Amino acid sequence: MTARSPDWGFAGELEDISGQMAIVGVGDAIYQRASGRNATEIALDAIERAIADAGLRPEQIDGLMQSPFMGDTLSADAYRDHFGTKQEIWMSTEGGAMTWAATAPIAAARAIREGRARHVVNLFAVDWFSQKVAGGDGPGRYHRDERMKANFEVPFGWFPQPVYFATIARRHMWEYGTKAEDLGAIAVSCREHATRHPDAITRDRPLTLEQYLARPMMVDPLRMEDCCLISDGGGATILTSVERARDLPKPPVVVAGVAEGYSGSGAYWSQQADFTATPQVFSAPLAFAQAGITAQDVDVLTLYDPFSIVALMQIEDMGFCAKGEAGPFVSGDRLRFDTPGLAYNTHGGLLSHAYVLGIAHVNELVRQLRGEAACQVADCEIGVYGGYTGHMASTLVLRRDR
Amino acid sequence: MAAPLPELDWPLTRPFWDAARKGRLVMPRCEDCARHVWYPEERCPDCRGERISWVDVSGRGRLFSWAEVKHLLHPPYEGQIPYVSGLVTLEEDPRIRYVTRIVDCDPADLSIDLPMEVVFRTLTFRGVAGGVRAPVFRPARTPARS
Repeated sequence: MTARSPDWGFAGELEDISGQMAIVGVGDAIYQRASGRNATEIALDAIERAIADAGLRPEQIDGLMQSPFMGDTLSADAYRDHFGTKQEIWMSTEGGAMTWAATAPIAAARAIREGRARHVVNLFAVDWFSQKVAGGDGPGRYHRDERMKANFEVPFGWFPQPVYFATIARRHMWEYGTKAEDLGAIAVSCREHATRHPDAITRDRPLTLEQYLARPMMVDPLRMEDCCLISDGGGATILTSVERARDLPKPPVVVAGVAEGYSGSGAYWSQQADFTATPQVFSAPLAFAQAGITAQDVDVLTLYDPFSIVALMQIEDMGFCAKGEAGPFVSGDRLRFDTPGLAYNTHGGLLSHAYVLGIAHVNELVRQLRGEAACQVADCEIGVYGGYTGHMASTLVLRRDR
Repeated sequence: MAAPLPELDWPLTRPFWDAARKGRLVMPRCEDCARHVWYPEERCPDCRGERISWVDVSGRGRLFSWAEVKHLLHPPYEGQIPYVSGLVTLEEDPRIRYVTRIVDCDPADLSIDLPMEVVFRTLTFRGVAGGVRAPVFRPARTPARS
């Protein structure tokens, strides 16, 4: 863990549900650039696949969690109409992707304990590529419309997100000696995994470090390859109690730790006291303690990676290496699934798999822990997802059922 | 004004743009604890004091970090590419990072901690009527104090 005791943020106070909940089904809608489908159709596709994966029937789903902040939401009526069912569905806005892909199990555990639901779907689906083609706003809108950013950042060209993270990356390079090759190692390892993954949008576009370095800058010091894709797609994850999970066909994947951290400067990256860190500093230690693990115990790590630099910082802030040393830590092929080091974003991440904001990262961990992954890590027992939104980070520790 | 021009009549930030029009850079400061409050807030984040007043600052600072935008990512910026946008810390209180355009320089000559100084320019955007006089920064041409 990092030796510093930072005061620029804080940990969220979440209930400890370690050992209570399990993931029993995962489903991913087909990932595409323009799909011609709206977010509701994509969501239902993902849910259908997750239900089949779990060995459940559509009428057995009685909880639906989504994020009210990002993407469209699926109504209970749309679910029932599609599947021709009549059940009551507990609806929650404490789920979705980004940080909530990690923290969704907490509200689900409460609903299950209180008898309001038994099998809960956590869902995230977007049609952002199709929206972009249609001239829509996409993921930059939130920042552009935030009033202080609109007044003191957007007029000066400090917008959209690639500009924020290029500025952070340059400072990280100056503070810690991080090199273009280090950012490249993140991008290249994601692409390497994506080329072996049947679902990944960039599966046909291999990328070497030499090719990465030869690519033009988009927002210097970031290249296009340092930035996430924009895509249509969605994922669904089915949560239930560990006891119930043991009756279902797939080996349960147990939620062993959940935590979240906040930056005291909110979504104003420009003003965060530690400019080159993420709130994982506050989140990861709590989740690891709940699970009784250290970073060294983690077999596979998936990180919310809108930009290569965000992954690099989270690797440091979660304690996989000391602060500032992620460059040497990720260099070469140390992030590959089949080499010594840390198996990282084994599906390709937001950089190379699809831009579904972390739901596919959790689904990938489940497949790894079941032994079903395309880039399967050997003897995979503990998987960790790091979620991020800028002002928040979250940590989810998953383990094989004992 | 239409985005991406700022709102000139928002009471919380209006003094900033009024001063800029006259070629002055001002920052909100807590009268109780003397902390500069950036971004503007109605209460001091340190002492919770409500007496915030706008004071002139030197317009000197140091380059904290920057990005060189080489690809059009937001349509109103068309015609400005490439440009440099970044953060400048102010001499009066280096905790303040002022988001700004970096002008009058070759990006290859920039370095972190480089002394900077304020200049005033009119910001305009393709397809948006009007413009706004705004403080931006360039590498300092006069030697920094201390």
